[in-house]
Amino acid sequence: MNISVELFGQLSPSSPRRQILDLAPTATVQDAADLLGLSPDEIGIVTIDGVQSELQDSLSPDCRLCFFPYLSGG
Amino acid sequence: MKLLRVDMNQSRVWWEPVSPVYEHLGGRALIAKLLLEEVPPTCEPLGPLNKLIFTPGLLGGCSVTAAGRLSVGGKSPLTKGVKEANAGGTAGDTLGKLGIKAVVIEGLAPQGSWSILHIHNDSAEILPAGDAQGLGTYATSDRLQEHYGAASTVISIGQAGEMRMGGAGICVTGEGGQRSNHAARGGLGAVMGSKGLKAVVIDKPVGMIVPLADSDLFRAAARSFAQKIINDPKLGTQGSQHLYGTASIVAAVNEMGSLPTRNFSNGKFEGAETLRGEYLREVTLSRGGEAGTRCMPGCVIACRNVYVDASSKPIVGTLQFETIALLGSNLGLGNLDEVAQLNRMCNDFGLDTIETGAALGVALEAGLGEFGDFESIQKLLAQVGEGTVLGRLIGSGAVVTGKVLGIKRIPAAVGQGMPGYDPRSLKGNGVTYATSPQGADHTAGNAFGARKEVNPLGIQGQKELSLRLQIIAAMLDSTGLCLFARPPIIANPQLMVDMLNGRYGWGWTTEDYDRSNRDVLRMELEFNQRAGLTAADYRIPEFMCEEPLPPHNVTFDVPDSDLDSVFDTL
Repeated sequence: MNISVELFGQLSPSSPRRQILDLAPTATVQDAADLLGLSPDEIGIVTIDGVQSELQDSLSPDCRLCFFPYLSGG
Repeated sequence: MKLLRVDMNQSRVWWEPVSPVYEHLGGRALIAKLLLEEVPPTCEPLGPLNKLIFTPGLLGGCSVTAAGRLSVGGKSPLTKGVKEANAGGTAGDTLGKLGIKAVVIEGLAPQGSWSILHIHNDSAEILPAGDAQGLGTYATSDRLQEHYGAASTVISIGQAGEMRMGGAGICVTGEGGQRSNHAARGGLGAVMGSKGLKAVVIDKPVGMIVPLADSDLFRAAARSFAQKIINDPKLGTQGSQHLYGTASIVAAVNEMGSLPTRNFSNGKFEGAETLRGEYLREVTLSRGGEAGTRCMPGCVIACRNVYVDASSKPIVGTLQFETIALLGSNLGLGNLDEVAQLNRMCNDFGLDTIETGAALGVALEAGLGEFGDFESIQKLLAQVGEGTVLGRLIGSGAVVTGKVLGIKRIPAAVGQGMPGYDPRSLKGNGVTYATSPQGADHTAGNAFGARKEVNPLGIQGQKELSLRLQIIAAMLDSTGLCLFARPPIIANPQLMVDMLNGRYGWGWTTEDYDRSNRDVLRMELEFNQRAGLTAADYRIPEFMCEEPLPPHNVTFDVPDSDLDSVFDTL
């Protein structure tokens, strides 16, 4: 399945900011992170279609996956 | 340490030793106690019985990184309850070094009389404001620093405070000519204006060192604290906070559908791409502006920026998330240059950008301008400085603006405009807005980023999360710490206990520390209760409970019973 990915902040210099990834139908956020070379230590917030998610959450076809670095609200 | 009392009615100043009642308190905690002890809770906020308090936190002046904030407090003309707002700059550090636990401004000056309070080491005097009266905060700070020296600290109000507008804040200068630190929230600038106090000038103390009860304990804890901030992935030199400032979260808040857009009618703004912190940094650096500078002496987080125009001329420093949300997306503006110009106008008039952005959003909904039309918005805002009837209306805040213009959709709780997180899609913040004794104030307990604990779109666990965050915020605001410096203390409260014991020799345990933080909220809730606030005041506006917020199409559905029981376990 294809999903669209966007990386923010310090995460984007290591990869293109916006990408389309081709993943297995059972893929999780962690699989996408691995493919992008992102370490769990540098991922602060993940969203799938705007909903905050976790690394073990499943992806669905055509979803939008966003990776943010650690962020602090204030 | 000592207290400086100022009677504006009698034009008299005097020093007092610190009463044992106030000994273990600083910043927000001291404000809560002083209000409870000395201010009739039902008094008129702009009347003679209210008091305006300037106080450093418990760690002020001690050279602890990120701990130099100045707390300003009094009864709020917006919430009608207790209010503490804090700012960076050099005031907190300076008062701490001078051994001044608080400056308490009492009474009202005769009508039309404007004064300056000048503090020099152990002396203080009230002087005529002269031609500083009527000036904006930039010109006021410039003029007073020309007279008293560039190293002096100036705390001032602009035209909004002089006209006693509910949206008025208080400006504090900082190192290197900084002008943009504001204790913005709650209308405390109006309280300062009501007293006829245009500015406070504090000469830089020379050779004054804060005494330490146990210097080894203190220094070890302070060093460890600083090192943990430097090592934190959010806060260190490679962290988002340092690189992109508070605007680092614009994209995430927008992606989560919580970015106030066109008077809180949407949680996602189509123009957010050019409001992001990453874009802000790129534009700032490409034009010769500054990123990663500090607002307080010795801060290792350094999240401040100086935003400049295309010719490298500074517009404003610092351009922050809340301002970008309320004066940007909330008004339909996606251009940082335009947001920065509105920000500068607010700073100069001495206006809270959150309250003013919320009021402008309401005014645009009423048809007084157009969302996304910078010129119409700028003209509206200019009227605040001019003091026209319409300007005074907007400067009085979101609730007054909405009531007068007949708008039902007023984004406010407990009388105060909402910050840059729509509570329908970040419900933990909604609980804080509704229940904090400080009113709708994100700094009183911000749930953004707490994803591993509580789903921001769900209702489960929100009240417990909010209470935990509100207790932490009370600690930060009472010690003078910047809220971004919280991670090491949350991870290891003993660090804070060691710093306090090293400074004061109290022999506190973590239990004492926890109790003192909870006591802040207890005192504030008691003041508000005595002031007449009831459960009906501690609510999210009805339109947010009825009107689904795109893109997630969610309402604020945390039950009232949860809001009413947040403090049951305090």
